[in-house]
Amino acid sequence: MSQPLAQSPQTTQSTPTRSPYPTEPKPYKPGFAERLYLPLLGGMLVTMKHFLKNLFNPSRMYTISYPEERRDYSHRFRGHHILTTRPDGSVRCVACFLCAQNCPAECITIEAGEHPDVNIEKYPTVYEIDMLRCVFCGYCVDACPEEAIIMSNNYDMAYFTREQSIVGKADLMKPFTFDENQLGYRPRFPEEDVQRSKMRRDAFNLVEAAKQAQEREAHKAAHS
Amino acid sequence: MSTLAPPQVKTTALPELEAVRAKFPAGSILPQEGLDQPVWIVSRDVLFEVCRELKENPQTQFDMMLDLCGVDFPDREERFEAIYHLYSIQRGARLRLKVPLREDDLVLPSMLKHWKALDWFEREAYDMFGFRFDGHPNLRRILTHEAFQGHPLRKDYDAAKRWILTEDKIYQPHFDLPDNSDDMFERMTINIGPTHPAMHGTFRLMAVLDGETIVASDVEIGYLHRCFEKMSETHTWQHVIPYTDRLNYCSAFINNVGYCKTVEKMLKVEVPPKAVWARMILSEFSRIMDHCVCNGTTLVDAGGLTSFWYLFQPREEIYGLLESVCGARLTVSACRIGGLIQDLPPDFEARCRRLVDMIPQYVQDVETLVNKNRIWIDRSVGVAAISGEDAVNWGWTGPCLRASGVGYDVRRAHPYDLYDTLDFEVPVLYGGDVYDRFRIRMLEIRESLKMIKQLLDRGMPSGPWIVDDPHVALPSKEACYNQMEAMIYHFKLIMDGIHVPEGEVYNMVEGANGELGFYTISDGTSKPYRNHCRAPCFPIFSTFPNLINGGSISDAIVSLGGLNIVAGELER
Amino acid sequence: MNNMIGESWVTTTFDTLEDWSTRNSFWPFPFGTACCAIEFMSTVSSHYDVSRFGSEVVRFSPRQSDVLLVAGTINDKMAPVLKKIYDQMPDPKWVISMGACACSGGFYRAYHVMQGIDEVIPVDVYVPGCPPTPEGLIYGILQLKEKVIRERERFRKQNRESKDQEKTQSVNAGAPTS
Repeated sequence: MSQPLAQSPQTTQSTPTRSPYPTEPKPYKPGFAERLYLPLLGGMLVTMKHFLKNLFNPSRMYTISYPEERRDYSHRFRGHHILTTRPDGSVRCVACFLCAQNCPAECITIEAGEHPDVNIEKYPTVYEIDMLRCVFCGYCVDACPEEAIIMSNNYDMAYFTREQSIVGKADLMKPFTFDENQLGYRPRFPEEDVQRSKMRRDAFNLVEAAKQAQEREAHKAAHS
Repeated sequence: MSTLAPPQVKTTALPELEAVRAKFPAGSILPQEGLDQPVWIVSRDVLFEVCRELKENPQTQFDMMLDLCGVDFPDREERFEAIYHLYSIQRGARLRLKVPLREDDLVLPSMLKHWKALDWFEREAYDMFGFRFDGHPNLRRILTHEAFQGHPLRKDYDAAKRWILTEDKIYQPHFDLPDNSDDMFERMTINIGPTHPAMHGTFRLMAVLDGETIVASDVEIGYLHRCFEKMSETHTWQHVIPYTDRLNYCSAFINNVGYCKTVEKMLKVEVPPKAVWARMILSEFSRIMDHCVCNGTTLVDAGGLTSFWYLFQPREEIYGLLESVCGARLTVSACRIGGLIQDLPPDFEARCRRLVDMIPQYVQDVETLVNKNRIWIDRSVGVAAISGEDAVNWGWTGPCLRASGVGYDVRRAHPYDLYDTLDFEVPVLYGGDVYDRFRIRMLEIRESLKMIKQLLDRGMPSGPWIVDDPHVALPSKEACYNQMEAMIYHFKLIMDGIHVPEGEVYNMVEGANGELGFYTISDGTSKPYRNHCRAPCFPIFSTFPNLINGGSISDAIVSLGGLNIVAGELER
Repeated sequence: MNNMIGESWVTTTFDTLEDWSTRNSFWPFPFGTACCAIEFMSTVSSHYDVSRFGSEVVRFSPRQSDVLLVAGTINDKMAPVLKKIYDQMPDPKWVISMGACACSGGFYRAYHVMQGIDEVIPVDVYVPGCPPTPEGLIYGILQLKEKVIRERERFRKQNRESKDQEKTQSVNAGAPTS
C-alpha cells in the first residue's frame, strides 16, 4: 500500500476543550515528621511486636511442619483421582466415556470391555489418567453418572519419569477407602451426606464381616 | 461449524451518534443494534476521520480506546473484521466499530495519533491476524516469537502447529535514541530479564543508560503467551472456565465471573441470588488477595521483605476459604455457567466473618511500616508518574487509573450484580505515581471489606446455587440417579455441550487491575467462535517504556511492581 | 580425595558429610513464569516455610544454584532462555518440574506452548498439579532429596566395585598362569 490511509489532520481545527482529567500529577508531600524519619519508629514497633509475640508464644506461629503435620483441607479438595469400587471390590466404572469427553486436558484414556454376562454392564479394561496433563479441575467428577470417579485429598504426588505418571486402573482403585477424611471433591448431597457415608460404611463392614466369616469357615474346614 | 451470516443492519436512534454519522458520506457507516452496545460498521476509508470525530466531538467524547481485536470469517467475501471498542468515561457510553477487510488488502490506518493505547493492540492484531497498520512505527510480532510463521488466530491455522525458535533468531532491540546520545559520556545498553527476579519472571526490558539514567528503553513480551483465545475456540463453552483461571492467576475467581457473566448474557440466563451473592463476596476477597500480592511484591522489589510476609498471611487465609468452596487454592474454576460449582459449605459465612475481622490488622501493620516511611517515600513518590489525561489516552483502567485522579470503576459506572445496592466509595488519589498506586490498593482493600461486610449482614440467600435449566447446567446427581430424563440431559450436556445462541457480546467486570472484558462471538455451536479477553494489564504495560525513560533502573524496577502486571493476563 | 589417600575412615566420613550437606541445602533457581510461581511464593512464605528443608536461599543466578525449579508454562519463546540457564548452572544440578504446564504442557496443546520442558532439558522430578499445592512441591523436593542420596550411593558403590575389579584384575594379571 503506497497511499497512506491516515490523512493529515485538517487545518481548520477548533481549539481543544479543557481536559476533564487532571493534566498534571500531584505527588504526595511528606510532612515534617516524615522528613525526619520519625514514623520509622512506629514501624519498628510493629516488627518488634510480631517478633516478641512469636518468641514467647511459638504455638501461635503460622508455619505448618508439613510432612509431620498436615493442613486441614476441606472435603472438596481436588487431589489424586480415585476409582471407586462396589462393596464386592469390582470397579464401579461402566466405561461410558463421559469423563474422557468432559476432560479439558484430554488426559483420560479408557478402553471398554464387555462382561461375558450380558446382564452386567460394561467395564473398563484400561483406565489411565496422565497425571502430568491433568489440571485437577474436577470436570471428570462432575461428568460421571455413576460416582465412579471421585477425587481424594491426597496431594503427595511426584514422579521421576513421564511413564511413571500415567496412572492405571489398579493404582487409581487402590486409594479408595470409606474413610470420609481421605476423600476429596465428589458429588455431594448436603443433607444426605452423613447418612450416605454411614450407609456406605455399613455396607462395607457387612461385606467385610461376611468375607471374614467365610474365611473362618474355610479355615475351619481346612483344619478339621 | 455453521457459517455466520453477516448481521442484519438496523438503525439506532442515539441522537449524538446520528449527528456524527450525518457528517460522513451516506453508506460509509452502517449502524446496527448490538446485544449490549451500539455497533457501527465503518468503511476503512473513513475510519481515521470517524474516530477523530468520535473522540473530539463534545457530544460523543469517546476518549478511551478500550480494545482492538480481529475476527476471521473464512466464508465471507470480506473475510476479516477489525473490531474496536470505544468508551467515554464522561458519558459512560460505549460503541463498537467494525471494519470489514478483504483478505488481499489487510491494511488499516494506524490510529496511534488518537489513542496511544492502540500501540500494542495494533501489533497484536498484526501478529494474530496479519492486519497491517499504515503509520505504525514499530509493527512487528508481539506475542509470538520471531521464528513464528503464519497468523495463529486465523481459522485455517492449526491450533497445535508449532514453530521452533533458535537462539540466533532472538529479537535484538533497536532504540529511538535522543539526538545528543553520541555525546553521552557513559552510554551502555543493558538487558534485564526475562528471568530476572525484578522482571517478575517473564518480561524483558532492554534499556540504554547514560550513567544511571535510562535514555531509551524497549520492552519485549510474549514469554508466557499460552494461546488462550485459540484454546477457547477448540474447547466447549464450559471447558473455557479452567482456562480463564489462568489469565490473572492472582485473582482467578474474578476471571471466572467475568467469563461466565458474558456467556450468561448471551444465553439470557438468570443466575440464582445465592450464586450472585457468593460470587460477589468471593470476587471481593480475590481482589484483596490480588492487591496483597501486588503490594507485597512491590515492596520486595524495593527491598522491604517484612511486608511481604505480613501480606501473604491474609492471602493464605483466603486460599483456605476458596479451597473450602471449590477444592483448589489458586486456580479455582469455582464458577459454572449459570451459577457455582457446588453448594456453599455450611461454615461459609462464619469463615468470611472471621476473615473480615482479621484482615484489617495486617493491612494496618503494613501501612504503619511503609506509608509514612521516608525510605519508601523517597523510593516511590513522583516515580513513574502519569497524569490522568495521559492515562486515559493510554487506555488505563483500574487502580492505576484511579491513582492518577480519574475515578472510573466498572462497579460504580456500570453496576452489575448487586453493586448498585452497596454503599461503597471509589477511592481516588492524584499523585499518579508508585506511592499513590500503592496507597490506593490499600484503600481498596478496605472498601472491599466494607462491601463484604454489608453482603454478609444481608445474610445468605436461600435457594439453589446454580440455575435450574437442563440446557445450561448439569442436573443434580441425585436427579441423575433417579430420573431418566435428568440422566438424558446429563449425557446430552456433556456430549454436546451448551449451545449458545448466535450473537456477540462484550461484557466487563472490574478485575483487580481494571476493566476485564470478554468479547465473545457465538455461531450457535457448542464452542465459542471467538473469545477475546480485554486484559487490563495490556494497555497499562504498553506505557511502561515511556514511564521509565528519564528515571533510573531502580525506579523502573519499583514502577513495574506498582503497575501489577500479571503475565498470564497480559499475554493470555 | 579417594584417589589421594585411598578409602579410609576420613573419606567415608567426608562422603557422609557431603551427602548430608548436599541434601539439606538445595539452593533453587526459581524459573517461575506463571501461576505456579505464585504457589512457589506461598511455599517460601511463612505458612510452609521451605527453609525448614534448607532451600530458602533462593538464588536468581544460575551460577549459584543447584536445583532448577521450573514453575510455570514454558513456551517456545522462552525455551532458548531456559536451555541457556540450565547450561549455565554448575554440576551437580537437578531439575524439578513443577506443575502440569512445565511437565507436559498441561491442557495447552497449543501453537506456542512447549509440551513439557523435557523437550530441551532433562528433568529429575515431576510434580503434578495445576498448580501443585505447596505441600506437593515440598513433597517433590523431599523426593529429589531421596533420589540424590540413592544416586550418590549407587555411584559410590559402582566406583568401589570398579576399583575392586581393577585390583583383582591386576592381581590376576600378576598371578602365574598354570
